[in-house]
Amino acid sequence: MSAPRVLAAAGPRLAAPLLGAACVAWTAVPLRHTGWADIALVVSIIAVTAGALRLALADVPQPTDEFFPSPALRTWLQFLRVLRTWPWEEIAVAATAWLEVQHPARPWHTVALGFGLVAYLLAVHIAESGAPAGRLLHRQWKVLLAGACLIALGAGFATLPTAGPGAGSALLRVLAAAAVVGAAALVLPGRD
Amino acid sequence: MPASVSSSSRDSSRKELEVRWRPSRHARRLFTLALAGLLLATLTRRPEFAGLAAPALLLLGAARPGRPPRVDVRVALATSRLYEDEVGAVDVAIDDTEHDVRWELHPGRGVDPVSATAVNGAAARFEFTVPRWGRRPLGSVALVLYDRWRLAEGRVTVELPAVDCYPQPAVQRTRVVLSRLPNRLGEHSARVAGEGAEFTGIREYVPGDRQRAINWPATTRRGRLQVNTFAAERSQDIVLVVDATSDVGSPGSSALDLGLRGAAGAARAYLDGRDRVGVICYQWGGARWLAPSLGRRQVYKIIDTMLSADAGWARGESFSRIPRAALPPGALVVVFSPLLDQRFVETLRDMRERGFALFVVDVLNTAPPARRTFTDATTRRIWRMEQQAIRFSLRELGVPVVHWDGESPLDLPLAPYTRRPLLARR
Repeated sequence: MSAPRVLAAAGPRLAAPLLGAACVAWTAVPLRHTGWADIALVVSIIAVTAGALRLALADVPQPTDEFFPSPALRTWLQFLRVLRTWPWEEIAVAATAWLEVQHPARPWHTVALGFGLVAYLLAVHIAESGAPAGRLLHRQWKVLLAGACLIALGAGFATLPTAGPGAGSALLRVLAAAAVVGAAALVLPGRD
Repeated sequence: MPASVSSSSRDSSRKELEVRWRPSRHARRLFTLALAGLLLATLTRRPEFAGLAAPALLLLGAARPGRPPRVDVRVALATSRLYEDEVGAVDVAIDDTEHDVRWELHPGRGVDPVSATAVNGAAARFEFTVPRWGRRPLGSVALVLYDRWRLAEGRVTVELPAVDCYPQPAVQRTRVVLSRLPNRLGEHSARVAGEGAEFTGIREYVPGDRQRAINWPATTRRGRLQVNTFAAERSQDIVLVVDATSDVGSPGSSALDLGLRGAAGAARAYLDGRDRVGVICYQWGGARWLAPSLGRRQVYKIIDTMLSADAGWARGESFSRIPRAALPPGALVVVFSPLLDQRFVETLRDMRERGFALFVVDVLNTAPPARRTFTDATTRRIWRMEQQAIRFSLRELGVPVVHWDGESPLDLPLAPYTRRPLLARR
């Protein structure tokens, strides 16, 4: 196999874990040592690593009719089964978001995390389905651009000066942001 | 590597299959991100997390209904019959142009993929080999259809047809020829004079001889007309006997594997020499046979007959006398057997007593496993002596027994018998 083809095949599989690791690192810094933050960090690292292993071992066949497998082979098969059945990317996304929550509010930092997570999920999908990345992104660029604007808008809502201290004004800002996102989701898609 | 069994044939079929649609893994991940963002925004009252959910929500909102419940899939086998280790191919295609398509091959047991097992595109070709003879189901192909936004995936499982894998014929270029051949035109030089091409001698001219046969130098020397004489060219009947009662050894190089490969190679060699070739598969519960005949197609008929041999564990009744219909008079009987079954050895003795010229190719290349104990060593030694006794008794009856390891050409063990005609003794 030629070098460009190897690179084309291995590129997305390499890009996905790198993006995942970048998201985790971005969220973890500065390190916080509360109980929930530590757990979220460990879970997200494990999930990103397992997702990377799943992609790397995607082509390893899983024999279905092994008679009397050795303990080592049985362990290996069990490991492959766990890698391929658990939703590692979903766990990584949820853990990373929870880790971000553990930090004090930093809206523009969260915006960057949002970009990173969407890129991570797209890279994972491209790597596991073998879809041509250029064609896929070309089809979705309008929606992705709208999404980026909405993330920025969410951060903008977060930085608005509040009318007064209290839980009510914060909730209002959240509802306003959610309403904007919901309205955009209803209006924008499907008219490509 | 022999030529493809039927490289021109192409088995094609079109199937209409039901598609099972469901959210893709990508959609489930986006949903998790959107849900996590909105939930955290509400719980923590931080609007930036609502923005985090925005791209995922937009992508999820792009999903549209209108997915086809059924699709037409075309499956075409490059060839439905191939030899061991020969590369075959199966083509799959779909007419759908609206969806992104991915094919994943799940090979059946005994089928080794050669090309990539996952391909994107409306059509795909999967190459494979079959390492061991037999009828092998190719397995299945999983077809995955993605919608434009890759949020829904439709799955279809396409069952692939089976292929007939023929044993790889052994290399055999030389042939064992009987000393006494039936009176039928062929390519082997007989001992009687005739109209062949091989010069045998000179005799005096008698009226009726052809003028072109006159040997002028000899005529000048002797002062009388002398003519050249030639050997007649005859063909012979060959009956291949494959012993399917004992399949010992590791799969791929077992006695039956070697027997079938040797018989297939011998069939090709003798049919190339315009001999009539038939086959008898000796198995538990009876025998299957094919009467001797000529022609290229006879090779495939012979192999098909051999492949139907049952080498299973079912022990039915056996017999020691092969029917007369399967053995033409004066035929050369070439036997491929590990000589493990005493009843089969009795059958060989019976054939010899009936006057057939026999030739045994011993395909036993394994021995019982033995530990380093006195009992095992003794048992193994007794077993070996029994095997030697069986071969000795056959040789005493005038039946040549040669050993073939399955890797070298068959010409090597046959060499002592292919240089001169095999005496057909009664």
